[in-house]
Amino acid sequence: MFAPPVNRLITELARFPGIGQRTAQRLAFHLLRASDEEALALADAIREVKETVGHCEICFNLATDPTCRICQDERRDGDVLCVVEEPSDVIPIERTNEFRGRYHVLGGALSPIDGVDPEDLHIVELLGRVSSNGVREVVVATNATTTGEATALYLADAMRERAPAVTVTRLASGLPVGSDLEYADEITLGKAFRGRREL
Amino acid sequence: MQVTALHLRDFRNYARADAELDERLTVVAGPNGAGKTNLLEAVYFACTGRSPRTSTERELPRHGVGVARVTLATRGADDVEHLIEAGFTPGEEKSLRVDGAPVDSLLAVAERPLVSVFLPDRLELVKGAPSGRRAHLDSLVAAVWPARAGTRAAYSRALAQRNALLGRVKAGVSSLGSLFTWDAELARHGAQLMADRSSVLTLLAPFFEARGADLGLPGDPSLEYRPRCASSTAEGLRAELGERHEADLERGFTAHGPHRDDVRLIHAGRSLRSYGSQGQQRVGLLALLFAERDLLRAERGRLPLMLLDDVMSELDSLRRELLADLLRSEGQSLVTTTDLDHVPGGRDPGTTVIEVSDGTLSPAAWRAVA
Ligand SMILES: Nc1ncnc2c1ncn2[C@@H]1O[C@H](COP(=O)(O)OP(=O)(O)OP(=O)(O)O)[C@@H](O)[C@H]1O
Ligand SMILES: [Mg+2]
Ligand SMILES: [Zn+2]
Repeated sequence: MFAPPVNRLITELARFPGIGQRTAQRLAFHLLRASDEEALALADAIREVKETVGHCEICFNLATDPTCRICQDERRDGDVLCVVEEPSDVIPIERTNEFRGRYHVLGGALSPIDGVDPEDLHIVELLGRVSSNGVREVVVATNATTTGEATALYLADAMRERAPAVTVTRLASGLPVGSDLEYADEITLGKAFRGRREL
Repeated sequence: MQVTALHLRDFRNYARADAELDERLTVVAGPNGAGKTNLLEAVYFACTGRSPRTSTERELPRHGVGVARVTLATRGADDVEHLIEAGFTPGEEKSLRVDGAPVDSLLAVAERPLVSVFLPDRLELVKGAPSGRRAHLDSLVAAVWPARAGTRAAYSRALAQRNALLGRVKAGVSSLGSLFTWDAELARHGAQLMADRSSVLTLLAPFFEARGADLGLPGDPSLEYRPRCASSTAEGLRAELGERHEADLERGFTAHGPHRDDVRLIHAGRSLRSYGSQGQQRVGLLALLFAERDLLRAERGRLPLMLLDDVMSELDSLRRELLADLLRSEGQSLVTTTDLDHVPGGRDPGTTVIEVSDGTLSPAAWRAVA
């Protein structure tokens, strides 16, 4: 319908989560209307983020160095690990100011439908951290969805086997069922954190 | 909660039609093809945002016209009027509004009545496969306890995941390791689902027995929950699933669990599904719908609006009388018929009748819209 480069841009934009064909078209036309400077700033920002931001080699959070800022922070409590699905889940938890431990980012949740098996997540690395580094408690903060709950159950079983001395807890069920951590507000999430229960 | 008036615009065979409803029984009369079922469908659509007879909503707008719209005026216990509006344009999101304000879904909207619908093909609920009865039972759970509405969907998601895993293990792409996890997740939702079904049926059964008798269903009618699993706890379910790994892996799907439950409608000690006559099955379904109405009143203080399509035709005169008495005694209902004589008292001056012919409603029921 449009010139091939415009179509290509629309196709790329439509790949974003929550962006349909129509919104992609609107965004594309916004970019076409924008000045070269403005539009290319976006392109540069994308390039820069892909070139400089990677994953922390300890916890798999986003990092510009080999390890992330939280892993580098000496004041954080190494006894408690909070396990989340995605790097984006770290931010809302940090905002509650209830948690002073460290994180472990799985990179997703178990979902056979999407072909995600335990080996596709950073579970082996988690078990390694837990059994070697004097971790006392693991808080499983995966989403309150079917896949998040199954992942929590799997982790609890695996840790009972590999590190029986470690307490495994789950966020209190203050979170609405089926919800993503990313969208929970600070108050609910803070309460869920304080009321966590043993798995 | 009453529906006081309805307004249809380009819905099915109606270009523009308006009617006022009785606070009890309204009879909708007209020949075959006049638009009686369409009228009930319109009311249901405005209450729920869905059609009770099709999932292809493209059928709803009048031929050659883009937008179908139904508006209901309702009045609650507080005597305040509300307007519920549902509109559909092919290729667009449905437009649902309450007093002019858009809403995502009408299901939890307090300004609309709950609805209970009898269409001839709903006899499948009595005659057909268990899946229809399970779905109906789960929707009753959701109507009685709205907060439990998600259990069925959560169970289905876990089931789909476990089935996908079985398929992957069978195909050699996944290891068995996480199957125990999915057993546990499925069992957790499954036990909840079974508990919900069992509690709603425990509450419903005495009402069904009474309404069955009211409507002339002989032989001590009763309802019976037939769960597939022996145990009712999450641990027990998990163990039952665990015992069946080998067979499930061979099949590639989960053959055991509450997705195989059934409910039996019984009269004279036998299943109405297998042994009931057509009329008895019809009365059985009506007894179920009226029992559900009793339950919703008892639990939520709400009487659903009953939409009964062509319900009289196969009933004998005694049962027509019993049904008409029940409809006049309480609650609001719409009953369609091709023949006014099939509705006892249908020609009495006190009975509100909407006459339908070829997509127009009779002048008696017609009111200009402000
Ligand atoms: N989208 C549409 N536009 C126009 N007409 C339609 C549309 N959908 C259905 N119809 C027509 O509506 C008419 C009335 O249908 P309806 O099912 O309401 O009849 P009825 O009064 O219930 O008849 P019966 O007594 O046979 O059950 C039918 O002739 C059908 O072809
Ligand atoms: Mg009809
Ligand atoms: Zn880190």
